[in-house]
Amino acid sequence: MLESIEEVEKQFAAQGYITDRTLATTIYLSLALGKPIFLEGEPGVGKTEVAKVMATILETELIRLQCYEGIDAGTALYEWNYPRQMLELRLEEARGTDKEEIGRNIFREEFLLKRPLLAAIQAEEKYRPVLLIDEVDRSDEEFEAFLLEVLSDFQITIPEIGTVRAKQVPFVVLTSNRTRELHDALKRRCLYLWIDYPTYDKEMDIVRSRVSGIGDELTRQICGFMQLLRNRDFYKKPGVAETIDWALALMAMKMDELDPQIVDATLGCVLKYKEDIEKIQEDGVPQLIEKAKLLRERTNAR
Amino acid sequence: MPKTMLGRVVRFSRLLHREGVEVNPGNLIDLCKSFEHIDLQQRVDFYAASRATLVSRFDDLETFDRVFNSFWSTPLISEDMTLTDTDVGGNSDLDVQADVSEVVDSADMQEDVDGDGESEEVGYSADEALMAKDLAAMSDREIEQARKVIHEIVNIIANRRSRRRVPENRGRELDFRRTWRRNALLGEDGVELSMKRRRIKKTKLMLLCDVSGSMDCYSKFLIRFIYALKREIRDVEVGVFSTRMTAISRLLKTKGIEESLHEVAEKVHDWAGGTDIGGCLREFNDKFARDMLHSRSVMIIVSDGWDRGDPVIMGREMARLRKRVHKLLWLNPLLGTPGYQPLCLGMKTALPYLDYFLPAHNVASLIELAKTLRSVWK
Repeated sequence: MLESIEEVEKQFAAQGYITDRTLATTIYLSLALGKPIFLEGEPGVGKTEVAKVMATILETELIRLQCYEGIDAGTALYEWNYPRQMLELRLEEARGTDKEEIGRNIFREEFLLKRPLLAAIQAEEKYRPVLLIDEVDRSDEEFEAFLLEVLSDFQITIPEIGTVRAKQVPFVVLTSNRTRELHDALKRRCLYLWIDYPTYDKEMDIVRSRVSGIGDELTRQICGFMQLLRNRDFYKKPGVAETIDWALALMAMKMDELDPQIVDATLGCVLKYKEDIEKIQEDGVPQLIEKAKLLRERTNAR
Repeated sequence: MPKTMLGRVVRFSRLLHREGVEVNPGNLIDLCKSFEHIDLQQRVDFYAASRATLVSRFDDLETFDRVFNSFWSTPLISEDMTLTDTDVGGNSDLDVQADVSEVVDSADMQEDVDGDGESEEVGYSADEALMAKDLAAMSDREIEQARKVIHEIVNIIANRRSRRRVPENRGRELDFRRTWRRNALLGEDGVELSMKRRRIKKTKLMLLCDVSGSMDCYSKFLIRFIYALKREIRDVEVGVFSTRMTAISRLLKTKGIEESLHEVAEKVHDWAGGTDIGGCLREFNDKFARDMLHSRSVMIIVSDGWDRGDPVIMGREMARLRKRVHKLLWLNPLLGTPGYQPLCLGMKTALPYLDYFLPAHNVASLIELAKTLRSVWK
């Protein structure tokens, strides 16, 4: 499975994820070299989706670790199940079990709560799991340092049990919205890829593959409209996720063409800030739709 | 892998290094390993592989593409390789056929500039003397005093509780992990509880200094002091602006303030021409804000507010900025002048968006500043 770059492109396309050659090559190399992928890009360009699709293709589990400020070993690696340990302790004391025996008993694996990183490393040999470490930029430096350790050796040491080594290196995807620059040491261990907003043609392919039954005319107009929006200076530019949401919304309303009124009513799918919506309304939605149609015709002529 | 190819790859990485893209040997080895898996005849694949392994930051992508396109403009292995692939970089406006020698030349020149700069750094520059004009004749004791005051100010604004817990005896939450470990050793006689509490986290500090004409020496003074506090607040970013906005944090890491500003001045023409605060803020918001600010950042703008740009733009950019940061401070040395009123248009525009508008022209005003902050900052 996934023996060549073309194969990666094909399999991803089969799952409805349109890659470009650069992305496919990076994914392929990540598999071949056993190195994590570090994906950066604006929100909504499909970073997280790479891991999800990968898990589907490899027919394996997707283990997800959502990062946040203050995330620590207890939530990322493992934690002992203290309440259960205490209960066990009381029970065994009541039974009169030998003290040392109790000590051994309560630090068994069944009292261990496996958090994502440990789960990924302990996965069975048959399945090479996909580990998604989402929005790393939200975590803090301490966590980065600690991630560095796990990602370079793929092993975790639990004092009571010993060192757990990965039976096989998981396919690791790290994503970042680049709200802050991550430490170079971490990035150096990964293959780096910046995912940009898609081009007009690529976005058309994406919409066609994700929104079943959508008409060509509507697809063209939506994608043209999105290209125009992204040229504008918004607080938050819409990503591909927004395009798909919007296309689905317009489909649900049984539209086959953009219509100023409906666009106005569904702008919330695309722009998420009040100021941005006001800005586009100042520009005039009807004019934008006209421009989007023109853009399409120009592309057609080419 | 053929030897000639290895040689070329190494030369390529050196060139990247010269152009400011940090390439370490580990990444280079990764690239060489990847050759076993890709078809080197495919220029696009070779491009993707080298970009994924050698680059690790967004800012370097442009440089990488440029160097790649000029260095590898000749066939990799054989003559019959197609070079017409426009997909490389997805960036058709790049000058694909840029001359290799040109890149090398510019790299050499860069080095020369660096060399000169180092020799200049040795002595204090003439600007140092200028500072005396504004900040009066500060004695060593006063400078030390000022340092302490700024230290205190920074402490006041920079400490906040993080979400991360650290062990602390008088903490409020029970630390199960540690309690368990400790008592496993103690045995059954009594239980000692370990507590934890939220750690204090240093806020990020962003200093944006006006370095046009009259503000120049004043800004240098502040940058120097704030930078001396690097130990207390690890996250300090410094930007300077006049007609253009430049981030100098990276420069300051390797060079002194004088040299950093010197380098900036060389790049930016019209250094002494009036200040375009609105335009500079816009540039900051567009290009730098997302990297340098987060919602808990404290931003300090140092400027006299004399603006020759468009006040409408300035107002809009101030509003954008206000949304991005936790606190927005404006230090204006003129505010120390008796009878000063913020009448100039720039200052008037900025006022509604500021949390604090403060003087800071001498040690006494700095002490005042510290007092104000202490009283209002929780």
